[in-house]
Amino acid sequence: MKFDCIIIGGGISGLTAGIRCVKEGLHTAIISSGMSALHFSSGSIDVLGYINNKVVYKPFEALDTLTGTIAQHPYTKCGKPLIIEALQFFKQECETQNVYLFDNENLNHFHVTALGTLKPTYFSQRSVFNEDVYNRFKSMKKIVIVNFEGYRDFHPQLAAAQLSKHALFANCEIIAKSIDMPQLQDLTRHPHEFRSIDIARIFEDEENVYRIADAIRLAAEGADFVVIPAFMGIHNFNQIHNMLQSRTRLLIYEVPTLPPSILGLRIDNALKSRFAQLGGVYIAGDKVVRAEINNDVVQAVYTANHPENPLEAKFYILSTGSFFSGGMISEFNNIYEPVFKLKLHYEPERNKWYSPQFFYKNSHPFLEYGVVTDENLRPYDSNNNIIQNVYCSGAILAHYNPIREGCGSGVAISTAYKAANQIISLYKLMR
Amino acid sequence: MKTLETDVIIIGGGATGCGVLRDCTLRGINAVLIEKNDIASGTTGRNHGLLHSGARYAVKDLESATECINENRILKKIAWHCIEPTGGLFVTLPEDDPTYHNRLLESCKFAGIDAKEISIKKALAIEPNLNPNILSAIWVPDGTIDPFRLASANILDSVERGATVFTHTEVERIMLKQNQVAGVQCYDKVTKEYFEVYAPIIVNASGVWGQHLCSTAGIELKMFPSKGSMVIIDYRINNVVVNRCRVPSDGDIIVPGDTVSLIGTTSRKVSYDKIDELIVDDDEIDVLLADGEKLIPNVSRARVLRAYCGVRPLVAVSGEMDGREISRGVVLIDHKERDNVQGLITIAGGKLMTYRLMAEMTTDLVAKKIGNNKGCVTHKIPLPGSEKRVGYTKKIKYFSGIPNSVVGSTHYRHGERVHNILSLQKRNYGLICECEMVTLGEVEYAIKNLKVKDLVDLRRRTRIGMGPCQGELCAYRAAGLFTEFGQFTPDTSTKLLKDFLEERFKGMKPVLWGDGLREFEFTYWIYQGLFGLGLVEEEEQ
Repeated sequence: MKFDCIIIGGGISGLTAGIRCVKEGLHTAIISSGMSALHFSSGSIDVLGYINNKVVYKPFEALDTLTGTIAQHPYTKCGKPLIIEALQFFKQECETQNVYLFDNENLNHFHVTALGTLKPTYFSQRSVFNEDVYNRFKSMKKIVIVNFEGYRDFHPQLAAAQLSKHALFANCEIIAKSIDMPQLQDLTRHPHEFRSIDIARIFEDEENVYRIADAIRLAAEGADFVVIPAFMGIHNFNQIHNMLQSRTRLLIYEVPTLPPSILGLRIDNALKSRFAQLGGVYIAGDKVVRAEINNDVVQAVYTANHPENPLEAKFYILSTGSFFSGGMISEFNNIYEPVFKLKLHYEPERNKWYSPQFFYKNSHPFLEYGVVTDENLRPYDSNNNIIQNVYCSGAILAHYNPIREGCGSGVAISTAYKAANQIISLYKLMR
Repeated sequence: MKTLETDVIIIGGGATGCGVLRDCTLRGINAVLIEKNDIASGTTGRNHGLLHSGARYAVKDLESATECINENRILKKIAWHCIEPTGGLFVTLPEDDPTYHNRLLESCKFAGIDAKEISIKKALAIEPNLNPNILSAIWVPDGTIDPFRLASANILDSVERGATVFTHTEVERIMLKQNQVAGVQCYDKVTKEYFEVYAPIIVNASGVWGQHLCSTAGIELKMFPSKGSMVIIDYRINNVVVNRCRVPSDGDIIVPGDTVSLIGTTSRKVSYDKIDELIVDDDEIDVLLADGEKLIPNVSRARVLRAYCGVRPLVAVSGEMDGREISRGVVLIDHKERDNVQGLITIAGGKLMTYRLMAEMTTDLVAKKIGNNKGCVTHKIPLPGSEKRVGYTKKIKYFSGIPNSVVGSTHYRHGERVHNILSLQKRNYGLICECEMVTLGEVEYAIKNLKVKDLVDLRRRTRIGMGPCQGELCAYRAAGLFTEFGQFTPDTSTKLLKDFLEERFKGMKPVLWGDGLREFEFTYWIYQGLFGLGLVEEEEQ
């Protein structure tokens, strides 16, 4: 099979690049080995949340500081204008699939975590941040955090206690409630089948939504604001949100839960369906195992399911993610990139990969390991030669720490956009 | 300040201390046990969980071997729910001295251990993952024992019979009145309160930590700390204990335990001031994996879950000796004889296997001192959970409606006490830890009945967070239940969660590569990326 562009990796970065390429008329394929990191993400898009462990309120101002000091940071290679353009592109593409992303007019806003901590982020879905939330927030007197009896992955008491401590909520009463609706639990056979995804399916049924709304109204008497685990549907989330809000006359806010994260799943679905809608080819459940490289140009890749049939393209984007997603593989005393055997940035001694504590202030060094690229995001092979038709994007890139800097999705989107841009302009030149 | 009076104070909640508490209680002697961390949190919980047949000691230490096989038989009766009578093999590799095989067989015969030579073909049929190049094989009645459950069952029985137990409570010093012990000064690390307990008899069962404890009474007791490290392999790659048939050395045993397998053990001298901050060295991991692979070649392809180490509580006799050279025999000291301190007894040395015998010897001395003439019955009365031996299939039938795997795991861990844990209410049997099939009901039972004060304690009682994911999802699920079922504020629960993840990380660090690193990255994403747990402290300030 022949394509203009093959993207290896179907997470947020690969999908963003894929949509951009296919929109510009490139015959594009994405090869995805399975569920991506979106399934355990907050579903909000972080651009830059922290610098030197301090919360960032103005991400685009902070970006100047960052790109001015860390030359190898992927954001430095992208540049601010491109990052802004990429974010707008991403927002618009999500909107085509009815996932509406809201920002705080170029400022970060906070989203509430399941533990009641606050994390700075840039875009959030409507049930997490919007104008109503922003306006109502200032006069808020009472918040009720609700769980549904039988759901094991959320403890509203912990969230309520933590949230209460925050100065922003000094004048606000925050309480935890549990809603017992046996009829919901009866829809599943075993108690461990009552997961976020199962409950989100229950929410997709209109009759259930009415019953749930009534239960929420009872539990949240006198409140302005109700926080629930993110259950409000996988497909019809906008309608469900509207129905719940109008029937309860309350603001309903969603908190991302333990995986599977429904908020992340919505973004994943939106990007996949957008890519398919535009005519992209999404190869799911397969994995690139081998590449044929001649004179620093990738000729073809081979997958586990089709070891004999080459998949050929003019350009390739490697968006295979970090260790967890299989983008890099670590061994006893070695780390390598399995598809193209690219040059990596890492420390050879294993005991330098991690920090002394789990929650060490400066996070862990291994999160900054990854592929070394030139400023156009093209990687090097082990002989230090640039591979001409490959670009890298997302968590496989070195020299940034997505968690410490709170920039995982922003980097994924920006570098995908940049990689796609270059492929598109070369493609147009070639025609 | 709170004060308390009793007949005997037992210091140390390892297997020996718990055994002494139970023995005293069964003889009608009032006893209080004080443990500075958790039950079985020291050496007891940091070994390979082997139910020795005694064969390992037969060649060099006949006395230990005989003790082992006797206790092996007793424990199978009184603590069957803590034991898996898997059986074990001693296999000779091509590079090993072939004469050791016969010496082992003869010595076992002499010690009364039922060891028999089996064909290589049969050994491979019993343990298909075994190295096919072995030269010979011996079958022995080894097994596995869960030290956490064993110690906890001793505590549970004692408490149900009226004993008092303080965990997370440090003994600051032993108080003397002239040459007679008067009691102990204690500090409760959870409530941050000081209190005193008075008794005419104090049993020092604090193992290697006894050196410091005795010094508070002005007594010199020199311990000889020797570190033993082990690695845990994800999944149970062997079903019987596999020993290497040679003079004891590093990396010569692979023990199956619950859902995992464990490669043991190294032996390294450590200085006394380092015993609370031991870490597994990278070269120990190299040795264990390399030698483990020789016994079961699959080891090289398995994922390593974690590495940990314990300190052997050996009492130094004399000179500079290797940890293996010293006898692992029992040391019972009446400090009246040795140091002219009336009422103080030290019980040390020995092994997990002989905890009950050590407790019996100690309690005999206690009984003699206070004029109690009831004999020991701990070898006859089963521990809670082992009262009745009911098969797995019967239990499944009884709890029909609950998934078999849930009933099986709960029964496996708690024996007859499964009836105090499981109920047909749907919420009760919802899984909190999927790796180890720990239900909400089991967590509730442990928090309410088993002296659980944090998530690490809960892990020792239930195996929560011990499986492949090392507490990825269950840690948060269980943390909230401390607020629901125990006297814990939400803030405390959040703090327990953070502490637990830090504790798990200690054992993951030395083996952080491959799938272990992937898993850790995922866990880090969840707890720091998604939950912002590391931010908790900052927000407080």
